[in-house]
Amino acid sequence: MAFVLLPVSLLLAALLLVPEVFGDFMAYQIGLYLIYGIAAQGIGFLWGKTGVLPLGQALFFGLAAYATAITLRGDSGLIIDLTLAVAVLAAIAVFAFVLAALIFRGRNESGPYFSLITLALVMIAEQIAGTATTLTGGFNGMSGYASLGNLDPFGGFYYVIVAATVAVSLLLLVLNRLPVNLIARAVADNEPRLQLLGFPTHVIKGAAFAFSALIAALAGGLFASHQGIVTPTSMGFGLSAEMVILTAVGGRFHVLGPLIGAVVVGWASAELRDSFPYWELLMAVAFILVVLKAPGGIAELLESGYRRVRPARPGKRSEPVTAPATKAVDAAGPLRFDDVRLKIGVVCILNGVSFETPPTGIVSIIGPNGAGKTSTLNTITGNRRTTGGRIALGSRRIDSRPPYRALRSGIGRKMQVPSVFFSMSVSQNLSIAMMANRARLVDLFRPSTFAWRSRSLSALLKNPSVPLQEELVQPVEHLPQGHRQFLEYAMTIAAEPRVLLLDEPCAGLSLEETALMTRLVRAFQAETGGLVIVIEHDMSIVEAISDKVLVMHLGQVLAFDTFDKVRVNPEVQAVYAGGTK
Amino acid sequence: MTVLLEIDDLTGGYRDTNVLYNISARIEAGSVLGVFGKNGVGKTTLARLVQGSLVANTGDIRLQGRSLHALPAHARRRLGIGYMPQTSMVFDDLTVRENLSLGSNREEPDRYFRRFPRLAERLDQPAGTMSGGERKILAFVRAMIEDTRVIVLDEPSEGVQPENIDHMAECLKERAAAGGGILLCEQNLSFLTRVSSWCLGLDAGTVVLDKAAEDVSAAELRSILSL
Amino acid sequence: MSSVLLLNLAWQISTLALVALGLAIVFGKLRIMNMAHGEFVMIGAYAPVITSSLGLPGWLQVPVCLLSVGLVAFVLERTIIRHLYGRMFDSLLATWGIAILLRETVELLFGRGYQSVTPPISGTLSLLGTEYPAYRIAVIAGIVLGFGALAWWNARSKVATRIKAMVGNPDLAEAVGINTARLSAGAFIFGCCTAGLAGLILAPTIRIEPMMGLDYLIRSFFALVVGGLGSLEGLGIGAGIIAGTQSVLGALANQTYGYLAVLTLSILFLWLKPDGIRSSTR
Repeated sequence: MAFVLLPVSLLLAALLLVPEVFGDFMAYQIGLYLIYGIAAQGIGFLWGKTGVLPLGQALFFGLAAYATAITLRGDSGLIIDLTLAVAVLAAIAVFAFVLAALIFRGRNESGPYFSLITLALVMIAEQIAGTATTLTGGFNGMSGYASLGNLDPFGGFYYVIVAATVAVSLLLLVLNRLPVNLIARAVADNEPRLQLLGFPTHVIKGAAFAFSALIAALAGGLFASHQGIVTPTSMGFGLSAEMVILTAVGGRFHVLGPLIGAVVVGWASAELRDSFPYWELLMAVAFILVVLKAPGGIAELLESGYRRVRPARPGKRSEPVTAPATKAVDAAGPLRFDDVRLKIGVVCILNGVSFETPPTGIVSIIGPNGAGKTSTLNTITGNRRTTGGRIALGSRRIDSRPPYRALRSGIGRKMQVPSVFFSMSVSQNLSIAMMANRARLVDLFRPSTFAWRSRSLSALLKNPSVPLQEELVQPVEHLPQGHRQFLEYAMTIAAEPRVLLLDEPCAGLSLEETALMTRLVRAFQAETGGLVIVIEHDMSIVEAISDKVLVMHLGQVLAFDTFDKVRVNPEVQAVYAGGTK
Repeated sequence: MTVLLEIDDLTGGYRDTNVLYNISARIEAGSVLGVFGKNGVGKTTLARLVQGSLVANTGDIRLQGRSLHALPAHARRRLGIGYMPQTSMVFDDLTVRENLSLGSNREEPDRYFRRFPRLAERLDQPAGTMSGGERKILAFVRAMIEDTRVIVLDEPSEGVQPENIDHMAECLKERAAAGGGILLCEQNLSFLTRVSSWCLGLDAGTVVLDKAAEDVSAAELRSILSL
Repeated sequence: MSSVLLLNLAWQISTLALVALGLAIVFGKLRIMNMAHGEFVMIGAYAPVITSSLGLPGWLQVPVCLLSVGLVAFVLERTIIRHLYGRMFDSLLATWGIAILLRETVELLFGRGYQSVTPPISGTLSLLGTEYPAYRIAVIAGIVLGFGALAWWNARSKVATRIKAMVGNPDLAEAVGINTARLSAGAFIFGCCTAGLAGLILAPTIRIEPMMGLDYLIRSFFALVVGGLGSLEGLGIGAGIIAGTQSVLGALANQTYGYLAVLTLSILFLWLKPDGIRSSTR
């Protein structure tokens, strides 16, 4: 807890000293910077973790500011004011969540488009606020209302702002130490992998956006009460852009960064704007330098300075906790393809694939390059939507469901090129994998979830041949390709899928490592009694592990039988001997 | 035999971290230098140092006597170093045809379509929609037809079906017979021993084996790969 | 529809297409989300102000415009933009900083006030049964010819393919012999110069001031969103829809409604058809 309490109490002490040391007018100004800083903290949370950059955050700021002004003008008493405030905040959060979840649904990259939508929204809002004179007072704005609880903006209201600042910072700092933080970062790191681990990423992004909107709205409410006037610029493009700049300069990866940015920039601007004609130029240059040279902003510079004095001590490794059992899967049983077709653009990848696997065992898929092997796996996990036919697992139809539903159906998948969370350490990767298909919403807010270990994962890590145990604290980006293969394998089996899909698990492995991987796969199948589907080129491996072999060619099934029967099949021999046609 | 490429006491890696130490090797016209070693010993680093996307910290690389040290990758390509990377080896957004016609070429790809007919069928398809193995083949053919003297290949056989690996081996031998030089980093030992004329074994960033391919025993290969 | 409205529409669409062309190259091809695009339009528009304040002859406006815009673009590409390829969000932020920098510099040089210049061609021409400014007719014809030439050149040269290759996989592009530093700088400077040229052309018809760029940036973005990134055809369609909606609604109702309609249209496109009408992958 020290790492939460120390910065928060320092912050509180510093803010409480401001009126005593600098006087009420300075406190009034600092209060305004803090309000912008709170909104920027919301941007920092969303942008620094999930990688989604909101360009129209003033929309929520302004909506709440207008709502507050209208409410306060009604002069209906503190209780009703606060109730209305909660209602407005809730409405804004719901709106933001629905907007983001809808836009991100079916779209993997957070891309610039979402940013542009938020930008366009804030521009519409500014236009409307400027023209809907009866509601908003037009370009002159709304004024002439009392502040919240009739507190003096130059006196008591400062402490309300301080309380809000400290509360938001505390909340964000606590969130930083919880598993949910890891999940949010995983969205920016490798969204497709997170989906295959069963997390609906559009909901996560929607929730993060709603949370940041909520924080912006809270700041907007304070703003209206503090300034006593709300104009369309409080809801405008310029303010949105300025908040993003404050976040970037202060540091989007740190909770206190945006606050520091807001206060430093705000104060320097007030001091220098009039006396120094090149002030705006200086700001622009400083901002460009931050983007280019110090993406972590002021906060990162401060931290690295602090770390030079007091190096980070490695945190105590918490004792492993036995993870709860995986959630019951929807379906199990044989996997059945009925005339499955897949067309991408004008290219037919699968031309009517039909087969039915046994309910358990190891099935290898072989076939020439471009036969549709990986595409077959893509249709099972929903990474590709079929354009015809049906896929069923047991009695349940599973085709054309989004990828995050695959694990819920008991399907785990390892990709062809190892797909892991590259910016994180090995143990963080494993923590996320352990949450897959186990964690309930509440578990994401419990620190003990970090230490979850299942028996099979512990056994895998203890295997002296598996290279991961000594590399737990290493960032994954420094691991060689072969070790990443084992990591991704470990992450995939951590959720104990009933159906395990492995796409060339031995690619890039040495002979020794290949032997280890095949041993692991066989042991996993024997232990769980599930179904394993492996794409493999090396016939000696195929022979060694397969109960059945599925031969694909030109997007169709050429043969599906035991290895010995497939080997003597004349059609298969023709394909393998003569190339294609 | 004329020496095409000389690697002279090369030490380098990523920025300040050295991965390879004091590597020396040479590729003569008509020869294939096979580089092997366990995962993470620096095969890819060697390929990239030669090709120019990484710059050596000390030592030199010479193409027909001309130092490549300070030259960026595109300049090395123009002087005659071809390169097929291990990952991201094709332009996903471009069609197969565009992938094959981007650089200056010594020959038309048609000859290779007989061995890899799937490419000819997919000429107007974006390379990103092809399977991993097909992309390897596309990148391989691209490297073959380019107007280069030395071709650096990083794991060309990974994820490619055995028949096509055979075709790759034939292409490499033909290219060597025509006087080209080839630097082949490979994990697949049977492919490597089949095409290489000289073998270079790496471990922990240094050369641990350096002899003509016919003198290398299977036991030696295995001992380096699985210490 | 009256012929004046029709000619106004042609004027709006063709100038928007020219303004958006630079962004289509820099954002659509190089993936640099250039928030300073409008500022290059603005600098181009100041070229006649420069020549008249220096007492230079009018024909020097074009070289002065291209030289000043090209020089600024060159310096910025070498010092800032080249670090930002493949970092779309960072490019957005840094170019936002650049936009402020350029606005403030121009304000220090020329002041905050409006400037206006006279068109090089005065008088009107009789067209479609109405009298229309000769300058605008010459500009519309010039832009149509220019786009025709660009389409012809684009189809013949491999430049578009090489840029696409470079942006998709810069390391491999180097490996096949593309000098990525030179190609990207060239494309960026070309894109900025077309924006500057658009500013020069628009200068006699607008009020020139340091803040004028933002509106051109936003409308160019929306034209690309609607039309789709990556093809000249899409650019034309996008400019047609955005400029068309805005000027028709602006004429029928008022400017605010025109603006709102454009914004709503763009949101709908981003939502439902995020690749635009013509996307580059087809």
